[in-house]
Amino acid sequence: MNHDTVLAQLNLYAVLPNLEDLVRRDATAAAMAKSWNICIQFAVPKGPAAFVRFANGACETGAGKHPSPDVRLMFVSCRHLNAMFENKGIPIPLKGFTKLPFMAKEFSAITKRMEYFLKPTDDLLQDPDYATVNTLMTLHTAGRAVAVLSGTDAQSKAVAGAMPDGPMVMKILPDGPAITLTVTKGKITMEKGEHDRPAALLLMKNLATANRLLNQKIDPFTAIALGDVKIQGQIPMIDTVDLILDRIPHYLQP
Amino acid sequence: MTTPYTYENSRRLFEKAAGVIPCGIYGHFSPAPLVPPEHYPFFAQQASGARFTDIDGNEFIDYMCAYGPMVLGYNYEPVDRAALAQLEKGNCLSCPGPVMVELVEKLVNTVAQMDWAFFAKNGNDVTSYALMVARHATGRKKIVAIRGGYHGTAPWAQTFGHHGVTEEDAAQMVRIPWNDTAAFEAVLEQYPGQVAGFIATPYHHPVFADNELPAQGYWQKIEALCRRHGVVLIVDDIRCGFRLDLSGSHAYFGFTPDLVCFCKAIGNGYPISALMGTEAMKSAAAKVFYTGSYWFSAVPMAAAIATLDEMARINAAAAMLAYGEKLRDGLVETARRHGYNLKVSGHPSMPYLRITDDPTLMLHQQWCGECTRRGAFFTSHHNWFVSAAHTEEDLARTLEIADEAFAVIGDNPQKK
Repeated sequence: MNHDTVLAQLNLYAVLPNLEDLVRRDATAAAMAKSWNICIQFAVPKGPAAFVRFANGACETGAGKHPSPDVRLMFVSCRHLNAMFENKGIPIPLKGFTKLPFMAKEFSAITKRMEYFLKPTDDLLQDPDYATVNTLMTLHTAGRAVAVLSGTDAQSKAVAGAMPDGPMVMKILPDGPAITLTVTKGKITMEKGEHDRPAALLLMKNLATANRLLNQKIDPFTAIALGDVKIQGQIPMIDTVDLILDRIPHYLQP
Repeated sequence: MTTPYTYENSRRLFEKAAGVIPCGIYGHFSPAPLVPPEHYPFFAQQASGARFTDIDGNEFIDYMCAYGPMVLGYNYEPVDRAALAQLEKGNCLSCPGPVMVELVEKLVNTVAQMDWAFFAKNGNDVTSYALMVARHATGRKKIVAIRGGYHGTAPWAQTFGHHGVTEEDAAQMVRIPWNDTAAFEAVLEQYPGQVAGFIATPYHHPVFADNELPAQGYWQKIEALCRRHGVVLIVDDIRCGFRLDLSGSHAYFGFTPDLVCFCKAIGNGYPISALMGTEAMKSAAAKVFYTGSYWFSAVPMAAAIATLDEMARINAAAAMLAYGEKLRDGLVETARRHGYNLKVSGHPSMPYLRITDDPTLMLHQQWCGECTRRGAFFTSHHNWFVSAAHTEEDLARTLEIADEAFAVIGDNPQKK
């Protein structure tokens, strides 16, 4: 797949779902979405599609097409869709013209809030509340991105194909959050939470270590030797996930 | 019961190292796959025989043998004496010393069916050279290798997707499963007249997986296919070389390669590797320009001559086999007494062990860690190495440590 196609899938399937965590974890976003009742569809014809639904103060995202979205936004190409995620492109509305003011104002505001948490600065990370949300979203984005890249990015596919099957848990100590990456014949899926019998474990000492590891600010080999990151079990799974994680910045700039 | 070791000095020095060295300790010596790393030493201070002492003063019976180079024992006097004598004469000079020719003659008279030798420093130097020779000799590009087989860290030897390796680097490599001659036949059919070489280790010794000996007739069939299709047969004997048979592992398994790569045990720790070949390969080898700054150093050559002499004198391969068998049987029985099933695969001189009660390897990692912090240096991911220096006393102490470690891991919940 070409760069634009991979990036479009990352935007829709790895980045967009952060709205769920944002509404759940950030009071500002929760207040914004409190009374929203709307479903927005994003789709590239014969390409990736995803929807975002706000209802009852919560946000739900999903891959594919929703049966009855209130707003349907079409993109002529993956590049067109990616441009919107970079605030450089405008989608083509196919349904929900009356909701366009909502899209321009409210939805735009909440995506800016998401961007605020996904693009940290050193100063922002000094705030523990900010760091908590940023790290959670970074962990989830990374897990979903690994799943996307294992099926789309040529380099990631090459290594994922040699992975042993089974669940691998990535957890921030002491009490989470955690994600489980499940490998089945080279295909990787991500679930929030931890598996009770993982084939491989990657444990990050604390939130700060997780943040630095996931943002590639520390070398994993050194962090493991120093005990900041602990690994156990099928290490080849962890090695491969590390290779795929390192592909994320090739597409998504922090 | 043994008091478990602690590693304050190792940790302190690692922190210092991490500030100035990528990964702190890089490559196959990285502590990262030593699980859990807090049970392992990071830096060694000194060694003798089959034991080394770390910078915290902890002594270990060494089952990694520097990951292979140590074969006769650390600080083995006859080898060191030969090296020092050469050092007094000269080491890295503007012409090679006579010792180079002497070593080639020694190797040619030792290794079955090989007529010449060429020296370098590391295993990867000579596997890469072997591929170039095969390509020049055949005028072809493709190289068939075994999936999971290790031949060094040159880009061609790694797979696409690993850091710094491009798709083009690995484009001419075709990977097939071990012990699968039909897969090799299929590749030869798919790429008629395009396969330059077949490279494999004498038996399959991947990391994190059981090791596999060649199936009955495997090498003979591979050899026959190579001959029929004009493919250069390359044996990577870097890890196994001289541990299975002083004549080379191809002699042990009964076949004739065109090129054989040696390193590790050849110099008992002195840096030298060798590509050996048949007369038919000699002119192709002569045409390929290949060299390195230290490839003519005389000291490692003198050490290699002494190592070969000593390995022959004491019949090192037989000694390692005997010790390896006793170690295997003792550990399996110790595990059984504690209710565990310990699987030992590969050759007894280079065993790969795995507690099969837990497929995730976590239990095995825990046991290896507990053994190590009691004085038996065991890794959980890589085959071990036995040396001719391991003694009955080492064996008895190793089994004692293994017993204690099984008691410590007890009735682990990971055991099914």
